Order: sequence, then structure tokens, then C-alpha cells
Amino acid sequence: MFAPRSELPASTAALAMAIRPTSPASSRLLPVAAPLSSLLPDGALRRGGTVVVTGSPGWGATSLGLALLTAASTAGHWCAAVGLDDPGVVAMAELGVDLRRVVFVPRPRGAWAAATAELFEGVDVVLARPPARVAHTAARRLLARARDRAAVLVVLAEHRDDWPVPSELALEVTEAAWHANGRLVSRRAVVRAVGRGITGRPRYVSLWLPGAQGAVAVAS
Amino acid sequence: MVRLVVLWCPSLSTEGPRGEEPRGFAEVLDAAVELAPFARPVRLGVLAIPSRGPSRFFGGEAAFTEHLKGVVGPLLGGAGRVCVGAAEGLFAAVLAARASVLVAPGSTGSFLAPWSIATLRDPDLAAACQRLGLHTLGRFAGLEEARVLERFGLDAVRRHRVARGVDGELPGLRDYAALRRLDAVRCRDEPTEVQRGFFGERGGADVRAAAAVHRLEQRLGHGAVTVARLGGGRTPDDRAALVPWGSADAVSEGRDHVAPWPGRLPSPSPASIPSRPLHVALLDDHGRRVAVSATGLLSAVPARLEFEAGRPRVVAAHCGPWPMAERWWGVSRRRAHLQVLCDDGLAVLLRAERSRWWLSGIYD
Repeated sequence: MFAPRSELPASTAALAMAIRPTSPASSRLLPVAAPLSSLLPDGALRRGGTVVVTGSPGWGATSLGLALLTAASTAGHWCAAVGLDDPGVVAMAELGVDLRRVVFVPRPRGAWAAATAELFEGVDVVLARPPARVAHTAARRLLARARDRAAVLVVLAEHRDDWPVPSELALEVTEAAWHANGRLVSRRAVVRAVGRGITGRPRYVSLWLPGAQGAVAVAS
Repeated sequence: MVRLVVLWCPSLSTEGPRGEEPRGFAEVLDAAVELAPFARPVRLGVLAIPSRGPSRFFGGEAAFTEHLKGVVGPLLGGAGRVCVGAAEGLFAAVLAARASVLVAPGSTGSFLAPWSIATLRDPDLAAACQRLGLHTLGRFAGLEEARVLERFGLDAVRRHRVARGVDGELPGLRDYAALRRLDAVRCRDEPTEVQRGFFGERGGADVRAAAAVHRLEQRLGHGAVTVARLGGGRTPDDRAALVPWGSADAVSEGRDHVAPWPGRLPSPSPASIPSRPLHVALLDDHGRRVAVSATGLLSAVPARLEFEAGRPRVVAAHCGPWPMAERWWGVSRRRAHLQVLCDDGLAVLLRAERSRWWLSGIYD
């Protein structure tokens, strides 16, 4: 198959560098849990992209952001949560996140953007909750870094305007209602997806967020 | 069995008083990994490489081993000898390196036969076999496996399989303590205790993640980067904790939390757990504080929920309470949990303890 050539690369590392750019298109996508795939343009997270997740407090935006990490972490991709000083670790486990692949930077002490940029070097998905409205330049710099490192940035914000640059995808929890039966059983949430990747009208998907056992499911 | 090329540096095999050998061998290992990415250390001074890939790349096993010697030799200076051998299975390949031969494919059994029984690293077995007149691996391999089992036991059967060339992994051949030390030497600028992946292996992604975390720790200070630890318990804050990256108990098994735990709060669990205690006020229709009685019942129906900051909420529904009396044998702790659903869709988990209500979680 390979004819012997006069000049072999000096080492396999050099060879690996030489063939690096020809990665297949599928490796530019990171998997998401099946119930969420209809929200995303490719049915998966696109490397180098940004997803902004918003919703009123208590409507499930945090759960939705954490749920985006599930399939990526179980597939062996490293994930990070920056600025979530109060992550519900048990809820993450119930959602299906593989906690062995998640690092937390709960209190980045005013350096959340620097921390996020640093994590892009070795982590595939960074879920970040900025402390306040993000400066335009900081957001631009993070976007460039994510694109350069082929990582995904998921921003958790209360309002869409807190993230100053247009994102590939914005997910917003527009309705949320709990079902209780002696205990809180599940929450039915309607999520709206808009963004550059979605043509035409926004998509609406209703989800159990979380469902009875803590995982996400599509609500009929 | 996988055909392996084994490289042995006798001068680096035993750790001297100055402790230079692990560092020297780490350099050899790094050089070998450059040539063949699947090179793995076996013990101090010995590393093994699956033969197939590099042999095809360099145009034959002989060419590859020559190349390997050419790269490793200068690293040892004039003093060190480099022995390279190849055979099927790790045990035979290590012996081949000792003899510096490339055993022809398929003839590993006949290669092993003349070696002394002492190479099986079991003095008792060796002594017994010597008395029986079985001085070589070939004679020992000629015994029936059932006879070996009844005469010498299960451990000897594993060595018997190695002697026959059926199995390459001789117990005790890999020196795990030395490998851990070697890891520490190779990853000097990484934390020595790092997150392990599935079954403890580390891939390239894990190394990159560890490096990024390490740089971040240098910027923010030790303990700024944490990982989750899951354990047993009834409440979400008991069951999980964030521990600093690299701490010994950091590895979350991912199994403990599935085990049944009587009295556990029902799932789903809140997606936000306040990291510091937050006091809230739970009031009834008349503005009186709601309390939990000794029998675990609410004194009144909750109607309003007031946070330390922010506007008060109207309680739409509540579930519970779940009273818990724990640790009666030591520091007694009595508490009760209550799920409260507000009219704006906010759902929270509250905890009554020391006659106050605390925010235990937000179902965000």
C-alpha cells in the first residue's frame, strides 16, 4: 500500500503533525443527549461555536446548560464549569454527566474570562456563567480562542443581552411548570432555539427538564 | 499474543544511590515514544513496543530495532549497553532482549525452551522443579497443565502458561512501583496525582486537560480547580462534594450514588446547591413562622417565602417534609427537608434545622 519513500518523516510525531488538518467533519461535532439534538442545527455541538442558554431564575436554564454536557462527557470529552459556585453535583449525575470528566472552577475570582480561555487549551466544552454583563472585547477574544482550539463555549446568562456578540445558537427556556405528586416529580419546559444555524422561524421543543429520574426527556 | 520489541538498558535497570537512573530512563522512554507512540515501560530500564506498526513504518523489524538502538545509544553516553529483542508475548520478548535476538515469528516456544526455570521468578517453584530434574522452561512446559495444578497450585499454572508461550504476562514482571516513580519523573511539571480516566488509563486528551488545569491552578491558586466526589448520604449536599483537583479521594467512582440509601430525598435533585448557608423565612397566611414539630409535621400551611435579598415569593405548593434524625450515637442532628414551589415557577429545597429554615437547593 505504501511504497517506500526516500524521505520518511523524522518521527511519528512529525507525521502526526503533517496529517493533522485532515480531520473528518464528524470530529468537528460533539455529541449531545438525544432529547436535545433536535434543538441544535447539526444535532450536536459544533466545535468552535458558542451556545447561550438563558431563562428566568428557577426555570431550568442551569439544568439545560448542564444537560448539554452529558453526551460529550460520557463520550470521553473533558468538560469544565466556570463560575458556577453552586453546581448541583448530584443533579449532574442524575442528568447523566460523567463526573470523572468534569472540572469545576467555582470561584474564578474576577478572572472568569482568563480561566475560560486557559481551559480551552485542554477541555472540549466549557460551561461558563459570567458574573455580570460581559464586555464586548472579552467576548470577542473568547470566541476567537474557542474557534482556534475547536472547543465549545456554553454561556449561562439570565438575559440574552448579557452576552454581547451574536452566538451560533441561543437557547431560552420560555415556559416551565413543575409536576408534583407528593414530591416534585418533573418539570415540563419549553425551550426556544434561535441562531445563525437555524434558518427560518425559531424552533420550540418541549422537554422534561428534568424528568422523573433526573434525566432529560422529550415531552410529547 | 502480541509481538513485542523490548529494549533493555542494563545500566539503568537498578536504582543507584544518586537516583539518576529513573531520570535517565525517562529520557530513553521519551525518545522511544517519539519513534513509536505505543512504547510503554515495563520496569526500570525495560520498555516494550508493539512490533507491528513501527516495523511497517521503518521497513522491517530489524531496521526498526537498529533505528531504535541508534536513537537510544547516544542518550546513554559511552557507558551504557542497549539490548533489543523481539518475540511474542512480554516474557519471551524480555528474554529475547537479554539475549539480544529477534526471535523469528512462530518460534517463541522453541526459543523459551532452553532458558532456566529460575526465569519464572518463583524461587519455591524453581527449587521444586530442580529437585524433580526439570531444569529448563521446556521441560516444565512439557508437564500437563492438570498435573501442574494439582502439584503446584493455581499460581504455578499461570507460570506454566508463560513457560509454554501461551501467555506473556508473568506475574511480577511489571514493576508498578517503579512505573509510578517513573511517571512522577516524566511529568515533573504536572501534578503527580491527577484524575484518572476509565480504568485508570490516561489518553492524550487527559494529559492536555491536566496541563490546562495545572496552568489554571498556577494562576488562581491551589484549590481553585475542583472535581466532584460522590458518596453515600440522604441529601444532595451530603452526597456530593467538590474537592481540589488532584486530591487522593477526588476520583468519583460513579457507582456509589446508585446504591440504595434508605431515607434518601427523592430525585430529581436541585441543579444548584448554595455553597454557603442561606437563611430564608417561611411564613403562613398570617405572617407567622412555619415550624416543623417533633413528629415531623408542619405547624401551618406555608404561604410566603422570603429570602435575605430579593422580593418575597408566594408559595404555590409544597411537598414533604422529610424529617431526618441522624447520628443519635454521636453529634445528634435533626433536620427536615421541604420542597417549595413558588407561583413564578421557582422550586426550592428548604431545610429546617436549629429552628430556622435554610436554602438547601434551587431546582434551576
